[in-house]
Amino acid sequence: MSDDSIDISFVEDDSLMVRARGIAKTFMLHTQGGQAIAALNGVDLDLRRGECVALVGSSGAGKSTLLRCLYGNYLASAGSIAVRDESNALKYVTLTGAHPHDVLRIRRELIGYVSQFLRVIPRVPALELVAEPLLSRGIDGDEARHRARHWLARLGIPERLWQLAPATFSGGEQQRVNIARGLIAGHPVMLLDEPTASLDATNRAIVAEVIDEARRRGTAMIGIFHDEATRAQLCTRRLELEPLSALAAG
Amino acid sequence: MTPLLSARRLTTCYGERVGCADVSFDLYPGEVLCVVGESGSGKSTLLNTLALRLRAASGRLTYTSAQGESLDLFTLAEARQRLLMRTEWGFVEQNPRDGLRMTVSAGANIGEPLMAIGARHFGKIRATSSEWMRRVELDAGRIDDLPTSFSGGMQQRLQIARNLVTGPRLVLMDEPTAGLDVSVQARLLDLLRTLTAQLHLASVIVTHDIGVARLLAHRLMVMQGGRVVETGLTDQVLDDPQHPYTQLLVSSVLPA
Repeated sequence: MSDDSIDISFVEDDSLMVRARGIAKTFMLHTQGGQAIAALNGVDLDLRRGECVALVGSSGAGKSTLLRCLYGNYLASAGSIAVRDESNALKYVTLTGAHPHDVLRIRRELIGYVSQFLRVIPRVPALELVAEPLLSRGIDGDEARHRARHWLARLGIPERLWQLAPATFSGGEQQRVNIARGLIAGHPVMLLDEPTASLDATNRAIVAEVIDEARRRGTAMIGIFHDEATRAQLCTRRLELEPLSALAAG
Repeated sequence: MTPLLSARRLTTCYGERVGCADVSFDLYPGEVLCVVGESGSGKSTLLNTLALRLRAASGRLTYTSAQGESLDLFTLAEARQRLLMRTEWGFVEQNPRDGLRMTVSAGANIGEPLMAIGARHFGKIRATSSEWMRRVELDAGRIDDLPTSFSGGMQQRLQIARNLVTGPRLVLMDEPTAGLDVSVQARLLDLLRTLTAQLHLASVIVTHDIGVARLLAHRLMVMQGGRVVETGLTDQVLDDPQHPYTQLLVSSVLPA
């Protein structure tokens, strides 16, 4: 995607949801003598409606780093990331270099993210945590909580826990609250970082089912899945990442 | 969207010494901006400059009023400045004793700002005070008690009620949770988080506590030696800090 010509890829191709070109990420560790750690270099990705891409590669290959760049949590050192956005004529918005204010809108409306761990907020009950993505879109409180209850029930969180803050929940319960919170708003693009890692077999099956449902509804997904069985069940293709050797820097 | 508050190249000096230099940012309605940095970084100077308590040596500060007027705050007539502070702005002091009147009751502390903007009906003022005590999780049965009989955390919540009762659009806060016990802090943070979201409040919060910033702020501004060294989305700045000073600041936080 070049900056000096008008890019109409998202207009011409209605299935295209995310286009990343030349993504690089190098961490400069200023507190450790200015060491540079290269995590990603030249990664290209086209993500389409209704597909689920499995990020594969050994530990340290930059899988989580790529997801974080796609969410605007890490700043890509080079490259561009464009996301389908029906609110403008060119049908996309550029995430890389976007103002924080715009990144927040992109996250509210376009890109969802399920991390490995729930970030617990003191005193906020599970029900409110799950309803929050809807409330932030201006959906009425009763409606948001009604849908949150549906998601919590679907993910097998016992009703007696709904009004409690998840700090004391088990790892698996926290993770399912996290997934409910991630999926409730029906973002057209979902990033998944080991969504089934801390779950037992029964709950893993439930979570896999809701993820697969979202994909079949047309959600474009890319994620890290810790086992081959889950990948085989959920993913439609793979994207291989290879570790880069650390570069010495002055 | 028009920014609520727009700062351009603000510089404030104490005689020869620079307090904060060259600070620019835009704050949008409903947005919470945390200014982080250690003591002496210039963050409190910046806050006091924004609150028009310190006179900037140079720069420009523009505020969009509830009526949609764009106001140049540094050249605005003093009477108009004071009116604005009473009606559209709040300021939460680090020490609640600086923001409260300790010799009048809790209810009067909340009711006073309403009277300052023209409320006269005693019964209604009292009802509003009582409602706000409830909103900040204070026992409304203590409406006639003096704030001196309240704990530090309760005083801070009372100060917040006093600031929010008039329905401001912008609240400046100076280390609102410093000096409170950790358990009391968590409750106050949750309250602030809920109220800013419910009331669609814009806020500039000065803090040295990264945890506070992570919980409350949409955006962060990191200051060192009077200057802004890094700015961005809260989780991005904390998870992928770019500037050496921010990296030091983030890496110095003990894991939770």
